[in-house]
Amino acid sequence: MSAAAGTALAASCARCHACGLLARLPIPATEGARCRRCGAELHRRKVRSLERTWAFVIAAALCYAPANILPVMTVVSLGKRESDTILSGVIYLLTHGMWPLAIVVFTASIFVPMLKLMILVFLLVSVHRRSDWRPVERTRLYRITEAIGRWSMVDIYVVTILVALVRLGNLATIEAELGAVFFGAVVVLTMLAAESFDPRLIWDRSQTRSS
Amino acid sequence: MTDQGPGRPELAGVADAVIETRGRPSLVWLIPLVAALIGAFVAYRAFSERGPEITITFKTAEGLEAGKTQIKYKDVEVGVVDEVILAPDLSGVSCRARMVKGAERWLTEKTQFWVVKPRISGGQVSGLGTLLSGSYIGIDPVLEGKRSRSFQGLEAPPLVTMKEPGRFYVLRSTRAGSVDVGTPVYYRRIQVGQVISSELDLNDDFVTTRIFVRAPYDERVHQNTRFWNASGVEVSAGANGVKIETESIVSILIGGIAFETPEEGPADVAAADTVYPLYENHDAAERRHYAKRVPYLLYFRGQSVRGLAVGAPVEFRGIQIGEVTDIRLEFDPAADQFRIPVVIEIERERFTSLQASEKKREEVLDRLVASGMRAQLKTGSFLTGQLIVALDIFKNAPPAKVVWNGPIPELPTIPTPLEEITANLTQLVNRLSKVPVEQIGTELQASLKELRITLAKSEDIGPALKATLEQAQRTLASTNALIGPDSGVNAELRRTLLELSDAARALGLAADQFQTQPDSLIFGKKGSR
Repeated sequence: MSAAAGTALAASCARCHACGLLARLPIPATEGARCRRCGAELHRRKVRSLERTWAFVIAAALCYAPANILPVMTVVSLGKRESDTILSGVIYLLTHGMWPLAIVVFTASIFVPMLKLMILVFLLVSVHRRSDWRPVERTRLYRITEAIGRWSMVDIYVVTILVALVRLGNLATIEAELGAVFFGAVVVLTMLAAESFDPRLIWDRSQTRSS
Repeated sequence: MTDQGPGRPELAGVADAVIETRGRPSLVWLIPLVAALIGAFVAYRAFSERGPEITITFKTAEGLEAGKTQIKYKDVEVGVVDEVILAPDLSGVSCRARMVKGAERWLTEKTQFWVVKPRISGGQVSGLGTLLSGSYIGIDPVLEGKRSRSFQGLEAPPLVTMKEPGRFYVLRSTRAGSVDVGTPVYYRRIQVGQVISSELDLNDDFVTTRIFVRAPYDERVHQNTRFWNASGVEVSAGANGVKIETESIVSILIGGIAFETPEEGPADVAAADTVYPLYENHDAAERRHYAKRVPYLLYFRGQSVRGLAVGAPVEFRGIQIGEVTDIRLEFDPAADQFRIPVVIEIERERFTSLQASEKKREEVLDRLVASGMRAQLKTGSFLTGQLIVALDIFKNAPPAKVVWNGPIPELPTIPTPLEEITANLTQLVNRLSKVPVEQIGTELQASLKELRITLAKSEDIGPALKATLEQAQRTLASTNALIGPDSGVNAELRRTLLELSDAARALGLAADQFQTQPDSLIFGKKGSR
């Protein structure tokens, strides 16, 4: 691949993560290199990208199960206590004919976190296997992951706003439940995982393989 | 990579340096570790807090919702219904519920479950809170007994939970009256308990009513306590007039059972599940206090007993001493006549001085009857026309004796005052019938005949009398002709009178002449000259 020839890595250079200045790295030592302009530490690639991403993905996966099993919020209305998990909320919306809303909630709260986890795992595995299979598509997948990550927080916002607003004493009170904490953790952890993953690794591997 | 940078040999080793591996793992692995720990803790807690799973069978799943309906004891959640399914034989629904941890201890055979929903029954309204919050399953946990996981749910909340101190009693009656489950039990008009169940005993057709009396009122239930049906309004129109009695407004609506413990008698507190008779009303309950009852037989001969009912009082000078217990009609074919035996029972405890022994009592009764004691039917109330049996001493009653030789001694009777009047009237009529009306008639006829003869004799005087009268008439007629208007005498008399008046007038004229011309007497009238 001729394109690889132009990488900073190939030129023994590194772009500063903070200010973007390209700097030449000393050949033997990679530790302790600092940007000439802003003083940030220089790395050729994100530090321990794969390890960190794996850790975050696993943590997120661990939180995913309780996030969906445990109730997210409890509506106490006129003495009637009703706890809802994410899925039961979706079913509730569906049975009450609000299927557009049901689709939104399902996509944002169940489908997207799951999709993110699967994409990240796929990317990690493909990088480990030094796969050169469609690097452009894989990079696009990564970009999608990064972009949609924050939208899963909609649920958490809804819960927090409801909890804060609906404080009508006996008439209606909404309480956040443990499921919301886990769900929030899933969203944050997947975002961190996406953040810590270095998409350049996709290209590095394919280059090494092809070379 | 070496082939990529022939012009930059100083970069030759860079590619290898990119893949760095450090011996110790990164701190980032703490995050999944912590996540795993938290997850494990939550899972452990959820699992460890899981109590036993039980199955409750109900007739209907009304108000039950899987995953929502809670099981509550004293308003504390002790379980949640997980699943509601139809029983395999479709006879009801089966409810799978997850109880809280530690519930095994009180999930015994005696533990009861029921659905709490709004209920309006009899005197109470319950479960109103569930109108808004939805139904829940109530539980009455019982610690002792064999542990169980499968229960039969009650259709209605138990009226008395196992914890409530008090005692159960069993009442038996011939009919249920207005006693139903939940009917209050009163003691001195204070509600002290409830009816738990009321059902027909198929063995002997008696209605068995189980009641519960709360502590400490259960100590007022003794061996000799009387229970009676204080249902609704008791309107009794007896010989004593109309009587309306009620225990409370609530009991008017839903009935009630009242009890009373007589002062005298054994004061032992009754054990639980003691069986008592349930009397129909307060009177019936009180009546049973007089245990010693002596029956007597009365025959009211030739008298109607219309208005006399079983239960009518037997009075001695206005004081009730017993009641009528039986009225029958007997036909005696030998004598071809009907007899109406009336059995009365005298409650001996009603009079205090009669403490004689059996033998002596008979003597006393014989003496009393000898001195005129008789039974009599009397109108107890003019309003209702009821009759009572009155005992009294009648000094001038015809002699009679107590008939001792039957199964029931027979007391002599005396007719009612009204009957006496009737009897007297009959006597009067009888006497009247003895009057010799015919003889009187004959005599009267004879007298009349005589009178007629006398009158016939007097007919001879008639003609003479007639002649005399005719003569008198003639005399009068002639007199009339003499002085009548057409008689001559009359005309002459009139003429005389006219002339006389002329003369008087002339005399008047002359007098006037003399007055004005006195000289005319001498010289005559001037005109005439």
